[in-house]
Amino acid sequence: MNRYFAGVDIGSTMTKVVIFSGRIEATIIGPTGPEHRKLANKVMEEALNLAQIRFEDLSYIIATGYGRINVPFADRQITEITCHAKGLHSLLPTVKTIVDIGGQDSKGIKIKDGKVVSFVMNDKCAAGTGRFIEIMADSIGVPLEDMGRISLTAEKAAPISSTCTVFAEHEIVNKLASGESIPNLIAGIHESVATRVSAMVKKLTIEQDVAVTGGGAKNIGLVKALEKKLGCSVIVPPEPLITGALGAAVLAKEIFEKYEREGQMPVRSSCGLQEAKIFS
Amino acid sequence: MGFFLGIDVGSGWTKAAICEEDKLKSYAIIPSGGDYKKAAKEAFDIALKKLNITAKDIKYTLATGYGATMADFANDALSDISCHAKGINALFPNVRTVIDIGAQFTRVINVDKDGRIINFIMNEKCAGGSGKFLQVTARILHINIEELGRLSLESKEPVEFTTACAVFAESEAVSRISEGARPEDIVAGIHKAMASKIITLVARVGMTPEYAITGGGGKDIGLVRAIENELRSKAFVPYEPQITAALGAAIFASSK
Repeated sequence: MNRYFAGVDIGSTMTKVVIFSGRIEATIIGPTGPEHRKLANKVMEEALNLAQIRFEDLSYIIATGYGRINVPFADRQITEITCHAKGLHSLLPTVKTIVDIGGQDSKGIKIKDGKVVSFVMNDKCAAGTGRFIEIMADSIGVPLEDMGRISLTAEKAAPISSTCTVFAEHEIVNKLASGESIPNLIAGIHESVATRVSAMVKKLTIEQDVAVTGGGAKNIGLVKALEKKLGCSVIVPPEPLITGALGAAVLAKEIFEKYEREGQMPVRSSCGLQEAKIFS
Repeated sequence: MGFFLGIDVGSGWTKAAICEEDKLKSYAIIPSGGDYKKAAKEAFDIALKKLNITAKDIKYTLATGYGATMADFANDALSDISCHAKGINALFPNVRTVIDIGAQFTRVINVDKDGRIINFIMNEKCAGGSGKFLQVTARILHINIEELGRLSLESKEPVEFTTACAVFAESEAVSRISEGARPEDIVAGIHKAMASKIITLVARVGMTPEYAITGGGGKDIGLVRAIENELRSKAFVPYEPQITAALGAAIFASSK
C-alpha cells in the first residue's frame, strides 16, 4: 500500500498543494485570499479529491511559505527556502542555483545535494519582484499571462529609467502616451526586473545549472531577459509554481521515514481538516 | 526698487513667489499637471494678480525645479537645491539642515550661514520616503491628503509596517484594514515608515541643528512629528513650506 504525504505552500499570491508518495500524485494551485486558513483547507480538499485519497490517508503534512503558520492541519512548518531547494533538487538534480521570482519577493538560492548552501532575498522593495510586472500589466491593460508572449514581438526594449515601481508606473503611462509600442514597453519592464534580480543573485557565485521558479518563470519574456542579464541559459521546471510545495511533501516523506527507521512516530497536528474549518 | 519673480516648476506642484527687493509680497501654488508650460504661466499670473501688478513690473525672473526649462518667460534658471538653500536661509537664518519632501523627490541639504550649499543628497529612486507615499495612503483610505496629518495625531497604536516600500505598504495597509486596524493607526504607521526612510537619507549627509522641513511634506503635521521623534528635536517649518525654493529663486533674481 502506498503512503501519502502532503506539502502546502502558502505564498503571498498563490497557495499550492502537492500530494506525494514517492511520485507526485496530485498538484493544485489556487489564489491566496485574505483568509489563508479557509483557502488552505479548500485547496487541500481539491488535492485529496484529485489523488482519490482521504485526509486520514496522509501520513505527514508540512506547510511552507509566507503563510505557513496559518495551516492548522499541518504537522510541521519549514521555511520556503529549504523546501524550494529540496523540491527543485528532486525534479532537476543538476541544478546548483535557483532564481525564484514570486508575487511579493525574489530569491537566489545556492544548493548542494538538495540542501541550501546560501541565499539572498528581496522582500523590501517591489521593484525586481512579480509585483512590479503585475502592476505594470495592469496599467498597460494587458493580462499578466500575456506579458511574456507579447514582449517577444518587441523590436527593441524601451528603457525604464525609474527603479521604484510607483515612479515606473508613471513613466510607463507617459511613454504609452507619447507613442511607445506596447511590446517594446513590456520588454523594457522585463528587462528592468531582470536587471534587479540578476544584480541580487550575482551576490552569490552563480553556478550552472541555473533554474528559474515561481510565477516569474511562467513569463517567457522575463526568462529570456534573465538569461541575457545572467549571461547563461536557465532551466524552467514544467510547473515552476509548485517547487516549494513539492519540497515540503518530499521532506514530509523523508522526515516520516527517518522517525520510522528509528522505530518512532512523529508528533502530528491535533487539528484535522474539519476542525480547521470550524476554527476559521 | 522693483519686483522679482521666482518660479519653481516641481513634479507635483508649480510655485511662484514675487519679492520686492528681498521681501516676499505674493505667491501662488498650483498643480503642475501634464503641461508644465501652462502651469508656470498660470502660477505667474495668479501671483501678479494678487499684487495688482503686470508682467512688465517684474525686473527679473529666475526659474527652478524639475521643469525649470518649461518656464520660457524666465530670464535664467538655477538648480532647485541652490534656490532651496537660499530660501531657507531667508526664512530661518539659523537653519543648517533642510529636509525637503516633494511629490517625487526627497532631498536633504546642508547649508552654511549665508545660505550656500555645503552638501546634499537626493532620493529619486524610491517612493518610500516621498510625497507619493502620502498620496497612495490617502487613496486607499479614501480621505484627502490634507487630512492625513491631523488624523495621524489621533493615533494611539500606530500600525507597525514591516516595509518602507510604498507598494508593499499599500497591500500591508489593506490587510491591516481588513483585520480592523483604525485609519488613524494606519496613517501614523505610514508616517513612521516614511520618517525612518527619510532619516536614512539624513544620516548619510549628516545633520547640523537647527533643521527645517519644507516641501509639501512639511504641511503634514503627522509626518513632521514622526521625523521630530526620530531626530529627537523640533523642526522649523515655514508658514508656507512649499514655496521655499520659489522664494530662494526670487531672492536670487533680486540680486541680478
